[in-house]
Amino acid sequence: MMTKQCCPLLIAEDSDEDFEVLQVLMEQMDVQNPIYRCTNGDKVLDFLYKEGDYDNLDVAPRPSVILLDLNLPGTDGRDVLEQLKQDQNFKEIPIIVFTTSSNPRDVEFCYEKGANGYLIKPIDSSELEKTVQAFVNYWLQVNTPPTSKSARAKKHA
Amino acid sequence: MNHYLEPIHFSGSIQPHGILLVLSEPELTVVCVSANIQEQFGISEDLLNQSLSTLLDVQVVDAIRQSLHLIDSASPIKLQESILVSERSFNGLVHRTENFIILELEPTLPLGLFSVPAFVRRAFTPVGCVRRTIAKLRQVSTSHEFLHLLTQEIRRITEFDRVMVYQFDQHEAGTVMAEAKRDDLPSYLGLHYPATDIPEQVRALYARGLLRFIPDLTAQSISLVAASHPLMQQPVDLSLAILRGVDSCCVEYHQNMGVAAILVIALIHNQKLWGLISCHHQTPKYLSYETREACELLGEFVSLELAKKVNSEELDYIIKLRSLQSEFVESISQVDNLKEALVNPAPRLLDLVNATGAAICLEDEITLVGVTPTIEQVSVLIQWADTQVKDALFHTDSLPKLYPEAVVFKDVASGLVLLQISKVRRYYILWFRPEVLQTVNWAGDPNASITVKEDGSITLSPRQSFEKWQETVRLTSLPWKACELDQALDLRSAIVGIVLNKADELARINQELERTNQELDSFSYAASHDLKEPLRGIHNYSMLLLKGYESVLDEVGKNRLQTLIRLTRRMESLIDVLLKFSRLGQAELHLVPTDLNQLVNQVLEDLGVSHQDIQPDIRIPRLLPTVVCDPVLINEVFMNLLSNAFKYNDKPEQWISIGYLDKEGTRDWEQHERGRIFPHSPTPSLSDSRITFYVQDNGIGIRARHLETIFRLFKRLHEQNLYGGGTGAGLTITKKIIERHGGQIWVESTVGMGSTFYFIL
Repeated sequence: MMTKQCCPLLIAEDSDEDFEVLQVLMEQMDVQNPIYRCTNGDKVLDFLYKEGDYDNLDVAPRPSVILLDLNLPGTDGRDVLEQLKQDQNFKEIPIIVFTTSSNPRDVEFCYEKGANGYLIKPIDSSELEKTVQAFVNYWLQVNTPPTSKSARAKKHA
Repeated sequence: MNHYLEPIHFSGSIQPHGILLVLSEPELTVVCVSANIQEQFGISEDLLNQSLSTLLDVQVVDAIRQSLHLIDSASPIKLQESILVSERSFNGLVHRTENFIILELEPTLPLGLFSVPAFVRRAFTPVGCVRRTIAKLRQVSTSHEFLHLLTQEIRRITEFDRVMVYQFDQHEAGTVMAEAKRDDLPSYLGLHYPATDIPEQVRALYARGLLRFIPDLTAQSISLVAASHPLMQQPVDLSLAILRGVDSCCVEYHQNMGVAAILVIALIHNQKLWGLISCHHQTPKYLSYETREACELLGEFVSLELAKKVNSEELDYIIKLRSLQSEFVESISQVDNLKEALVNPAPRLLDLVNATGAAICLEDEITLVGVTPTIEQVSVLIQWADTQVKDALFHTDSLPKLYPEAVVFKDVASGLVLLQISKVRRYYILWFRPEVLQTVNWAGDPNASITVKEDGSITLSPRQSFEKWQETVRLTSLPWKACELDQALDLRSAIVGIVLNKADELARINQELERTNQELDSFSYAASHDLKEPLRGIHNYSMLLLKGYESVLDEVGKNRLQTLIRLTRRMESLIDVLLKFSRLGQAELHLVPTDLNQLVNQVLEDLGVSHQDIQPDIRIPRLLPTVVCDPVLINEVFMNLLSNAFKYNDKPEQWISIGYLDKEGTRDWEQHERGRIFPHSPTPSLSDSRITFYVQDNGIGIRARHLETIFRLFKRLHEQNLYGGGTGAGLTITKKIIERHGGQIWVESTVGMGSTFYFIL
């Protein structure tokens, strides 16, 4: 099954190594979606609100899925999650938390704030591969993302 | 012998050495006269119903008439002029009763019986002597010296054989505090006598500050002859009469002591009768009015001065107690151990209320200080006293009278102060005082002053007084002073304050601890996250190398990369354990009644699946009980202990035994439901006690020197490649879980024979 080219994936990840491994894995899995990366929380918000470096529409399309690391420099991933899920414009965008933390408190917090999934980054590469594969299969292939139109319609309602 | 019923001041008789006239007012007609006026003083007129001027000069009568308004019923006033009757010179003394004026005539010079007083010979005025005495008395500081000097001075002025100062205690029993006497007489110093030795009415008269003078106890008393006057139906009140007759008991009492003349001066302190200056003489002895007046003045001075001395000594004592208290409190507030602070140094606690023994009861631990009953006796006493306490304090100076069981330890604890610091926590301090009889200081032997009558008749004597007094003070201690009881209460406030402070401190520490815990939590969280990220990088890059550069790397290189990957996995498991361990301390326990049989079976099933090579023989001698615990955590306990039992065994025939001990080492647990046993048929019900469980194996055992260290985090006894490896955290986590449940864990082992892990839940 092909992944959807039209659906941009936004990855919030501060670790270059993690991101590179992620890229390698997604390449292997033949992911066609355009991938955007933000290295801190503020940039994620700028990306979505088209502020700062991202005031150009072409540079920052509305993502269909966000893969969010929790521990981000600057604005924390938890704050980013909370803010986006409270915003009428963005709350439909699926946000999948992708983090090292297996702390039950974090898991609970994220679902409370409206996260659509919670994936733990394993250290073991084969485990990691399975996790990324599951993400790609579900969120980039099987799942139907919300359209940006429905978001706009809500906005004018 | 009962003194209390006889109204002595209405005795209707006088002593023979003077004349007493009762006069109507304002006519000054004689309505009553003492019978000796004719026999003794040779006055032949029948004075009854006559004007006073029949007997005395008109000027004298006029003088009395004009000063009628000055005559009161406080004390007799001496007329300025001496009065001549039948060529004899008299002092006239007047005072007022309810209905009459009483005029007493005392000869200015004693009659034949009496020796001439010293002052006449020495040409010193009594007032001059008194003034000099006062000057001397002002020089001394302590009340002990003061009283001693006083007796000597009074003796010098009066020349009586014996002068004593008595002091009354709160029960009106008396003690001889000071004495000056003829050398050949026995000493009465330190003697105690019961309140009954001085009749109530006499005591009341003394309390009015009056002086009592009986120059000859053996003299025949003189009756009064009254006219038929409407107001004379009642006996005349002779309370204030200097010549008042002597009660027969008083005569007998003093004669038993070989005393023929007495002079008694009241000492008043705070409007109460504090004591008496009592002068005895073995032969009849007359004192001039001036000398008596001088003694009376001296008594008033002494009363005032004594009040100052007593007050200042009391004050000194209070100040001493106060400073002791503040030192004490300061030292208590600086130590953590309340008991230690109270007990050391030992005398401090006793000095605080002037006790000879004390017991400190902190919950069920009793510590004794000084001379006390036994711990068992104190323990039972507390139970009784607890019911008597009002406002945190109970005190008695006669414990055995309230609590008969105390008779057996009356010698050490007739007096008790019980201070309740905390009823809830059972914190008490008890102070003891011995029976007073144990503390009487003898300056002289009371038996030495005794002349036992051969006829065995019961008469009063110093010894009998003393014996009677002993009866009254049996089973009592010296009384507790108000200031001492205040000290006890102040100490309580201080301790409560300190304990409260400590509680505040504890709360602060707890807050701090909570903050530290939160920090630790965020640290371990951050650590797990931040450490794992580079670890993941190392791991994944090693993988990328292995996969992408397979053709470039030789076998050694590939092996090393594999090792790198293995090490990252190991490091991850260590980080996970650390994280888990740090969370254990903070996670709330979810306590529910848990059937351990089910729990253990589940664990064994899981283990059996993972250890398929050898299946040890599992022995569970009897059904396990249901306990209240956090099943997830206790599952982990059994998982760790049983997996160790599985792993560390190299015997061909392996067995593991799981069970619990019969009730022993039972401890009460106050508030928590933890560990409470729920009756669960058919398991034995060991209600309300903790249970000691065990997991025993016949495995490799543990050396004695490692029995403690195995519980340390990451402490391993064996190489990683032996016995299935592991992080060395299982037992640490197990111990922490047990401790979170309020229990403890320990191990007994014989190398090569096996180990038994015990834990109390």
